[in-house]
Amino acid sequence: MTRYLFRRLFLMAFVFLALSLLAFSLGYLFPGDVAQNLSGLRQIDESQRQQLINYYQLDQNILQQYLAFLSRIAHGDWGLSFASQQPLLQEIKLLLPATLELACYALLLSFVVGIPLGIVAAFKPDSIVGKSISGLAMVGYSLPIFWWGLLLIMFFSLALGWLPSAGRIGVLYEIPHSSGFMLVDIMQADISYRSEALYSALLHLLLPTIVLATFPTTVMIRFVREAMLNVWEQNYIKTARAKGLNRGQVLYRHGLRNALLPVIRQIGLQFSTLITLAMLTEVIFSWPGIGRWLIDSIYQRNYPAIQAGLLVISTMVITINMLTEILHAFFNPLARRG
Amino acid sequence: MSKFRLYLEENNRSPVKQLWREFKRQHSAMTGLVLFITFFFISVLAPFITPHDPYLQVDELLLLPPSWSAAGLVQYPFGTDDLGRDLLSRMIKGTSYTFGFALITVAGALIMGLVLGALAGMSKGVKSSVFNHILDLALTIPSLLLAIIIVAVIGPGLMNTTWAIMVALLPQFVHGIRNAIDEELKQDYVIAYRLDGANSWQVLTRLILPNIWEKLTIMATMAISTAILDIAALGFLGFGAQAPLSEWGAMISDSLDLIYLAPSSVAIPGLLIFTAVLSVNLVGDGLKTAILKRRQN
Amino acid sequence: MNLPNNNFLYLKPVSVLLSILLLAGCQPQLPETARSGLVYCSEGSPESFNPQLVTSGTTIDIISQQLYDRLVDISPDNGDIIPGLATDWQVSADGTRYQFSLRDDVSFHTTRYFSPSRKFNARDVVFTFNRITDPLHPFHLQGGGVYPYFQSVDWAGLVKQVQAIDEHTVVFELQRPDSSFMSNLTTDFAAILSAEYAEQLLAEKQPAQMDRLPVGTGPFRFREYQKDILVRLYRNNDYWRGDTQPEQLVFDIVPNNARRMAKLFTHECDIVSYPRVAELELIAARPDVTVQESTSMNVGFWAFNTQKPPFDQLAVRQALSMAINRAAILQAVYYGKATPAYGILPPTSWAYNDGLPAPVYSPAKAKALLAEAGYPNGFTMDIWAMPVQRLYNPNALKMAELMQADLAQIGVRANIVSYEWNSFRQKLGNFEHDSVLIGWAADNPDPDNFFSPLLSCAARDTGTNRANWCDPLFDDIISQALLTADQQQRRALYLAAQQYLHQQQPLVAIAHSQRFQAISSSVSGVSINPYGGISLQHATRVEP
Repeated sequence: MTRYLFRRLFLMAFVFLALSLLAFSLGYLFPGDVAQNLSGLRQIDESQRQQLINYYQLDQNILQQYLAFLSRIAHGDWGLSFASQQPLLQEIKLLLPATLELACYALLLSFVVGIPLGIVAAFKPDSIVGKSISGLAMVGYSLPIFWWGLLLIMFFSLALGWLPSAGRIGVLYEIPHSSGFMLVDIMQADISYRSEALYSALLHLLLPTIVLATFPTTVMIRFVREAMLNVWEQNYIKTARAKGLNRGQVLYRHGLRNALLPVIRQIGLQFSTLITLAMLTEVIFSWPGIGRWLIDSIYQRNYPAIQAGLLVISTMVITINMLTEILHAFFNPLARRG
Repeated sequence: MSKFRLYLEENNRSPVKQLWREFKRQHSAMTGLVLFITFFFISVLAPFITPHDPYLQVDELLLLPPSWSAAGLVQYPFGTDDLGRDLLSRMIKGTSYTFGFALITVAGALIMGLVLGALAGMSKGVKSSVFNHILDLALTIPSLLLAIIIVAVIGPGLMNTTWAIMVALLPQFVHGIRNAIDEELKQDYVIAYRLDGANSWQVLTRLILPNIWEKLTIMATMAISTAILDIAALGFLGFGAQAPLSEWGAMISDSLDLIYLAPSSVAIPGLLIFTAVLSVNLVGDGLKTAILKRRQN
Repeated sequence: MNLPNNNFLYLKPVSVLLSILLLAGCQPQLPETARSGLVYCSEGSPESFNPQLVTSGTTIDIISQQLYDRLVDISPDNGDIIPGLATDWQVSADGTRYQFSLRDDVSFHTTRYFSPSRKFNARDVVFTFNRITDPLHPFHLQGGGVYPYFQSVDWAGLVKQVQAIDEHTVVFELQRPDSSFMSNLTTDFAAILSAEYAEQLLAEKQPAQMDRLPVGTGPFRFREYQKDILVRLYRNNDYWRGDTQPEQLVFDIVPNNARRMAKLFTHECDIVSYPRVAELELIAARPDVTVQESTSMNVGFWAFNTQKPPFDQLAVRQALSMAINRAAILQAVYYGKATPAYGILPPTSWAYNDGLPAPVYSPAKAKALLAEAGYPNGFTMDIWAMPVQRLYNPNALKMAELMQADLAQIGVRANIVSYEWNSFRQKLGNFEHDSVLIGWAADNPDPDNFFSPLLSCAARDTGTNRANWCDPLFDDIISQALLTADQQQRRALYLAAQQYLHQQQPLVAIAHSQRFQAISSSVSGVSINPYGGISLQHATRVEP
């Protein structure tokens, strides 16, 4: 395990090195002035430019510039946003929790719904239940998520008027910002309208969570179903059957454990998909998270923001991927090889 | 096969024929295939079969409802948009953009993937290890995110989107092809062929490629569905096809403003994207099952 | 909101959440702040919280009437000038000295970041206007030192000095008489700021906060701003005009038109700015929403960057003007809810020139003109289209698409360019465009409001002159008109100015539109000023 961990950490370090190189080069790849792209200042006069050149070591060789970049990132100086002229790191800190909140609930939902449905579908693959679950999974797998979100809004918000169409909470509820996670903030806030605010926040969460969870849920169903069917073919299952255990017992004692182990790895893989899909979901539901912010930044040609957004999102995705890989290896010694 | 058979021809059928036999048995896969072929022909023939010019603005016929409603016209089955353009023609033309470009994108990614994957699979040592690590990085970043970043750098547009998605799909192709080649290289017949004096190129073209094409096909179908969804998503976000191109995703975002007046102009392009992706996925799933069954026999 | 719970049950995934909801109580009562609060869905974020620094109607709607007062106001009924923070005023015989008596019972807002120790007085007025004119003023350069509206009317060249005679009397001395001076004071840009707050910020070395965390005297006080999400205001309980109704006023920022309408229909918004003209009938048919229509002085136009070739050639501009089918645009973009514009000034103005010829639509002539100008095969150009819906142009992108098709007829290949609204305006200000679809809504009834801020050389320096046009002859006419107090003479000059613009075509006027506001039926008392922002002081929610 130690050797495995060591190897993983080395790989991670390498990946982050490559990522930092990519992010660093973006400042030069983007159209426009490098000093502007790096600092985020909209207008730069001559004296300022000289200062910036010194600060970013633009007159030095490229290695120096890269090292300067790394030290800036480490010290939390990520430059300003073109659009708001506010420090980027500060903006991201405000937005990231909203995205994480949404992604976590959706991930949870996809597991809670996806795993049991996958097991049921694998248990009797040729029954009506099994087939309809597979069919539904196929449909959900093929849905363009932005269209699906629009359909739900059209139906539940516009036609029926049951659910709000946008935002995290009714705007008239003022919730003091502390952690950035809406539900946590509401519980912590000293306000007289806590239960009403909570109710409003949950209503706002409902549609985006469902939309965001759709794709991972179907992936989960398909994955679990296939894993179960695979396990079913293994000799140890046949042995267990031969020993006289019935289907349910075999499933419970041997099948589940072996089939669900790879699911741990799915957390990591699903998470990166979720973050991308969250960008679309946030746009559809005007959810004030980092995805919508990144998309807006692209509209605004806000290069410093795109660079910072890429760095944050990729770091998050890679870290979670690595963590789940390690977790998986911890439970499954076979995975430590290779 | 312990059972005695009088005629053995069946087992000597070519792998393609066997595959087709297994594929044909699945109704859902056949439905998918028919849809897929339909979309394919529409996207190729689009310029010749649109009933109207998809870009012609008819000032007298703004926001005409579909022909099944009372106020509609038979000549405009899906009605017109808010600039008086025929929606059916736009959707047919859109098939070329969304579906057709997805095919082109995947074909491009496949070819590049083959080259890089073969290089990676056939080489050994530090070079290959560095290459693999870079690949691992690219694989953790979802294709849509990667495509969005590329578009942010090179600017919006349908052509740029195609390039971006091609590059974004590349890592998974290279990864898959490399692994497949790796697996093949371990086979005894490869070693035997090498002992016969075959060089790497011969091994690759004579043995490996014929043995991995099934995997390639499945990879390609899965990539097509990703490509369609990504092209449409980028179009929807306004980074892909620009006005007046009638790419399906862009059509949805164009019609968003009309969601109350003409809900069908939002619903129908979405339904098309969905059907196209579904057809590809059905074919892909069918292929997977067919290959599995063929191997088992 | 009523929860019809049994209908939800088939949504399997949500049943877990739902049970929490049901446990939490079925039908929560709205808390006091929410019940008497109002939500206004705005089409964009404010650029700043100081009206002096902005021109966009979006920002003005959000901040001006709600947070600030002016020395004088315009009566929405007849356009007369009525007292605001000034109770009365005298003008000297030569028209260069204006003396105002001020109210003594007005307090600035008490907020989390400022508590006033004194009432409003003459020092605040002096501070407000010196900030604009005095380049050495400690606050002059805050926010970039650009005061677009005031610079476009050459305020610094006009006002010699602003002086406090005593605590409640202030005098403006002008370099020359100016017939639009009082009108300019009534605009939403001439909001009165607090000198005491400014001193406090200087002492704290935080001068930039002045325009971010505003302090005014208006019916509402500032609470919070979450960028691109919302602006929250609370009622100013000590408002000198009394009886402000909503306890809380939230500006929910929803740039997308369809989404704004969706929020109105789902009752997430009480008031929606700029409902889409296309949907007015649909909205009017709903029992829970009413549509307010009001005349407004505005013009939507297509401005050429006249410094960039080939738009520096008159023939090219004329050709482009002839190439576009205005009738189709009026139908497809304005849905007939606008009058075609012959010139820049709307027909409701007293200086309107009704002798201007109707614009010609003739692709053939346009092609001939282009050939004459040396472009027989046309050229490639950009049309910049505003990303947001404005009063004067409900859908610039659609208009651009129509024009794209029209221009293709004469061989001109047009690319449509659009950015997010604030970047769009910034880039326009730097004249990065070839041509732009934009417009202007009047801030006051004076005809000069359509000329100086839009097409004067002064306006070019501040970037509000979208045509990048500077013509000494034209500047002469309009400054002459300002020096003249006699309305007949002024009118003659403005007629000449309109005639000249028609010849020169720095921009192509397209339409004068009506202003619409969609309001939830449970809200009453919203008033729209024909010359500027919306006022929500008297808006109330009527319990059904």
